[in-house]
Amino acid sequence: MKISTWFGVLEMGSKGEILASELFPKDVRELALHSLSLRDSRQNLPPEGFDLKAAAVECRFVDSLSEYYSLLHEVTLDTVKIQISGSLTPDQRIIQAVEALDDINETTNSLSERLFEWYGGYFPESGLNGEALALFIVKYGSRENVATDDPLCLKARDSMGAKLEAADEMLLKGFAESVCSLYERRKQIEAYIESNMEVLAPNLTTIAGPMLGARLISIAGSLEKLAAFPSSTIQVIGASKALFKHLRSRAPSPKHGVIFSHPLINTSPWWVRGKVARALAAKLSLAARIDFYSAKKDISLEGALEEKIRKIRAANPRPPQKRQEGGAKPQKKRRK
Amino acid sequence: MAEIRLLSEGIFEITKDKRQLATPNLDPGKVVYGEKLVSVEGTEYRTWDPRRSKLGAMVLKKFNIPLRKDSKVLYLGAASGTTVSHVSDIVFEGAVYSVEFAPRSMRDFVGLASRRKNIFPILADAGKPDSYAHIVEPVDLIFQDVAQPNQAEIAARNAIRFLKRDGYLLLSIKARSIDTAASPKEIFTEEVKKLEKAFEPGFEILTARDLVPYHEDHLGVLAKLKE
Ligand SMILES: C[S@@+](CC[C@H](N)C(=O)[O-])C[C@H]1O[C@@H](n2cnc3c(N)ncnc32)[C@H](O)[C@@H]1O
Repeated sequence: MKISTWFGVLEMGSKGEILASELFPKDVRELALHSLSLRDSRQNLPPEGFDLKAAAVECRFVDSLSEYYSLLHEVTLDTVKIQISGSLTPDQRIIQAVEALDDINETTNSLSERLFEWYGGYFPESGLNGEALALFIVKYGSRENVATDDPLCLKARDSMGAKLEAADEMLLKGFAESVCSLYERRKQIEAYIESNMEVLAPNLTTIAGPMLGARLISIAGSLEKLAAFPSSTIQVIGASKALFKHLRSRAPSPKHGVIFSHPLINTSPWWVRGKVARALAAKLSLAARIDFYSAKKDISLEGALEEKIRKIRAANPRPPQKRQEGGAKPQKKRRK
Repeated sequence: MAEIRLLSEGIFEITKDKRQLATPNLDPGKVVYGEKLVSVEGTEYRTWDPRRSKLGAMVLKKFNIPLRKDSKVLYLGAASGTTVSHVSDIVFEGAVYSVEFAPRSMRDFVGLASRRKNIFPILADAGKPDSYAHIVEPVDLIFQDVAQPNQAEIAARNAIRFLKRDGYLLLSIKARSIDTAASPKEIFTEEVKKLEKAFEPGFEILTARDLVPYHEDHLGVLAKLKE
């Protein structure tokens, strides 16, 4: 009987004695690579209760138990390090980017609000907010500096805002610069997601768009998991926050997850949205599977979905009539 | 002055201001997860928070903890190593084969494992013990804290392969990872029954006790293989 161990292959006799052994070189990296290759092979497994360390000493792989343990310690550590460095797959990188984007959005929004409040004391009539406001402040600082050809020039001159002192102006400009760079970073991350989604998941990207596609992968945890979800799950993922809120506070129960932001759904009349969402989820699920297993673009996918949606809309041109006759299920109000 | 009392081999209760569970630090001067270091009579101890460790809670719930200084342990669900670090303190002349399947947790665990010679990290699914059969020797204790629906099955599979005939299984069963509709009591009865009967070989349950107040909805189980 042959037995594979982390230190070599042993040929065992019928009474458990070692007849022959083919030992691996005592090199940590090599042993780690061997160990990795044994993980998935179900062949030559040691029998239940087999004493590896005794065998290693017996066949002279090591001279002592302490040598056995210290080498095994090095090898298991190295094996794990190899596995970890391989675990940052392309989908995991995209997930990090999606999460970074969420953080940046949150930070940018709150800093933008702060800037709006702050600068509002000096030029409340600007009518600007967000990135436009931040850019304006970086450019001019005090409203006294607004160029005469700027459309805001008159408003700036007649503003009821306070005079912006030099020290405050410096602070505000610096703050606005930070906000601007966050907007920059956001664009950069979005571009990263777009180009990488096109490579990782071309079909999902076609059907969902890169951002929604990336978000689906992020919520699922990996492309593999997304590909394993039934389409009914894809239809509601991302709704879990709404679901908890619903359970806690009697908020309306969620009917759609993140896929609700898809243009095919939010441009459809409300009475077909459920049907459209189902059709879309089915195609997303198919797309994720193709991407996970082959990553080849299937050009028929998009056309098939559009055709399906066209049929749904054609078959349901008008909102459903409430049925009055007895026997029919009382229709719950659909829209909140 | 600190007072010290032995609770089980390698496990102490130190009283200094308040009572605290502790293990002798195998890696002196180093803190693993924010625990306190306390020196008593020339030995440095790491305090052990039972609220952050099912095993720590089991100690305080008066479980017999079958660990010796040279025990071989198979630890399933190592996470980032909070509890493994204490097991490593206790079995300082032994071995802790630590299985965890989340690469992200393993990443945090590697730092700990590399500083402690008796820890052998394994990135694998505990439900597939064949995948680490070429590494793990027969062990005296299997400790399992995976919080998975099929936890009884995972324990049985590993026990068949790796548990010595006279070895023990210490298991933390999390009610909520199994079924949210059934009550924790029902789930615990069900899981214990599974451990006893559903797999070959069955386990003989020695102790089964909840881990309240340290962990809600958790049952601790000490078992050994049926004769
Ligand atoms: C409750 S945590 C363990 C905490 C740890 N025992 C401690 O006290 O420090 C459960 C861990 O088990 C891991 N896990 C779950 N299922 C697993 C499996 N089938 N194989 C290996 N690890 C698993 C999870 O990734 C998680 O890190």
